[in-house]
Amino acid sequence: MEQANPLRPDGESKGGVLAHLERLETQVSRSRKQSEELQSVQAQEGALGTKIHKLRHLRDELRAAVRHRRGSVKARIANVEPNRTVEVNEQEALEEKLENVKAVLQAYHFTGLSGKLTSRGVCVCINTAFEGNLLASYFVDLVIQKPFRIHHHSVPVFIPLEEIAAKYLQTNIQHFLFSLCEYLNAYSGRKYQADRLQSDFAALLTGPLQRNPLCNLLSFTYKLDPGGQSFPFCARLLYKDLTATLPTDVTVTCQGEEALSTSWEEQRASHETLFCTKPLHQVFASFARREKLDGSGLLIDCFHCTGNTSEK
Amino acid sequence: MDETVAEFIKRTILKIPMNELTTILKAWDFLSENQLQTVNFRQRKESVVQHLIRLCEEKRASLNDAALLDIVYTQFHQHQKVWDVFQMSKGPGEDVDLFDMKQFKNAFKKILQRALKNVTVSFRETEENAIWIRIAWGTQYTKPNQYKPTYVVYYSQTPYAFKSSSTLRRNTPLLGQALTIASKHHQIVKMDLRSRYLDSLKAIVFKQYNQTFETHNSTTPLQERSLGLDINMDSRIIHENKVEKERVQRITQETFGDYSQPQLEFAQYKLETKFKSDLNGSILAEREEPLRCLIKFSSPHLLEALKSLAPAGEWDPGPEQLYVPLYPRC
Repeated sequence: MEQANPLRPDGESKGGVLAHLERLETQVSRSRKQSEELQSVQAQEGALGTKIHKLRHLRDELRAAVRHRRGSVKARIANVEPNRTVEVNEQEALEEKLENVKAVLQAYHFTGLSGKLTSRGVCVCINTAFEGNLLASYFVDLVIQKPFRIHHHSVPVFIPLEEIAAKYLQTNIQHFLFSLCEYLNAYSGRKYQADRLQSDFAALLTGPLQRNPLCNLLSFTYKLDPGGQSFPFCARLLYKDLTATLPTDVTVTCQGEEALSTSWEEQRASHETLFCTKPLHQVFASFARREKLDGSGLLIDCFHCTGNTSEK
Repeated sequence: MDETVAEFIKRTILKIPMNELTTILKAWDFLSENQLQTVNFRQRKESVVQHLIRLCEEKRASLNDAALLDIVYTQFHQHQKVWDVFQMSKGPGEDVDLFDMKQFKNAFKKILQRALKNVTVSFRETEENAIWIRIAWGTQYTKPNQYKPTYVVYYSQTPYAFKSSSTLRRNTPLLGQALTIASKHHQIVKMDLRSRYLDSLKAIVFKQYNQTFETHNSTTPLQERSLGLDINMDSRIIHENKVEKERVQRITQETFGDYSQPQLEFAQYKLETKFKSDLNGSILAEREEPLRCLIKFSSPHLLEALKSLAPAGEWDPGPEQLYVPLYPRC
């Protein structure tokens, strides 16, 4: 508390001294503060200074490290880096393994019977073939659950799938699959023969080839010398065994009166035997070859070859 | 050319929409290319029809040719008819089916002609080993009515035939008999499947509804499927029953597959079941004998409707056996 007037007497002179003392005190404290501030500022300066030193030092170190790294990277690029090739080799090896496995799985197709596990069972793929030619593929998706059943399939509607399943599916799945394979391969083989006859030997046929879905009844008329004067032969091939590619019954007849002559009779009988023992297109190939021999004296082997080499 | 034949051809051609006319005439394969080229198809329909009739007269079209045109028209407009499915069966120990087309046609015709003197039977074969048969019915005293024929599509060397449902029901037993005997079967039974879509019936009956199969060549794994939920949905929204939804989705997909369903309009099942009741002492629940019911499903597209029921939460997809009857099994 300061007195308003420091020059009053008695109490006033005390006030004067006290006030003076107070002023001196505040001066001292002020100067002390200032010196403290100065000290702290100096301390801060010092601290900052050391920090700057440290940071500079760190910077120099880092620069040196970067220089060192660059140098060594350059050295690495110049030489062959052992770590990286190991990685590349591993990846290549894995890719190669994957390709191999994929190839093996695809190769299973050539065994004729392959499959893939599904969430409910197995999807079996039957690849049919005849005389080394890979033909159509059929799928059967089986549910492995008692009772076994067929979920869906791509087997043609005229193959007696239900009969085969009724006989074997519940008791012996292997037998079911092998039996189905037999039927499908035989069907594919018969179909192949009929298709080849229609496409390659249309010149020898005098009328359209009559066939049915299973290709187990074929009826056609043919001539050995197309455009010639001879009478055509009528052939009727029955394949009563659905697991076979050769007919069980063959009837060859000759239209016309020359049927009575022995040479025609011999020919007719030999044709019957041929159809029973050799595949249809091969029989016609031999007819065509014979014709070429008689006609031009030139042996053309190509028909025979295309019958036997594999096509894809 | 007979007047009735001319009238018949005229009425058939009038039914054909202009944009299909050339396609159908080509498929009919009766008028030659040259003849067709003389026709100006841009005229009014009546003039085109008259020109075509004149060409048919020049070529002396017979009743059989006219019937073939009718078959071709029906083949292009299959969905205008409703088709029933018939299944034939052989006796035990029957010989292998050596189907002979000529024999079948002759036998079929003979049986019908012996029973009813007046009947027109025509055949047309298609590439998928299907035989389309058209029968116009008459009686002992009246000529066949060409405007109400019955069509049968028979797949040779299979037990199945499809018949267009017609109003003349009294001829159905005779037709069944003719088909059975001519195809060397013993019995014929009508299946409980009916639809306008012949392809769908075929897909169901021949089990060709899903022609995608898992192989080692397929690169897309079948398990990868989005939940079908909205992709644009906020990621902060979590479905409480996500597991349940996934289970429903998985079962639906396993049963119905990813392909488009055959278009079935009607299916009927006999069901024997016991009544389950929460209330004790309910009369129905106490029955010893099971209840016998007949369940009929009908819809413009039955299988798609059923497929969408489970994900919509309307139907708990229980054991897979529930769906099995929908696809006649082996």
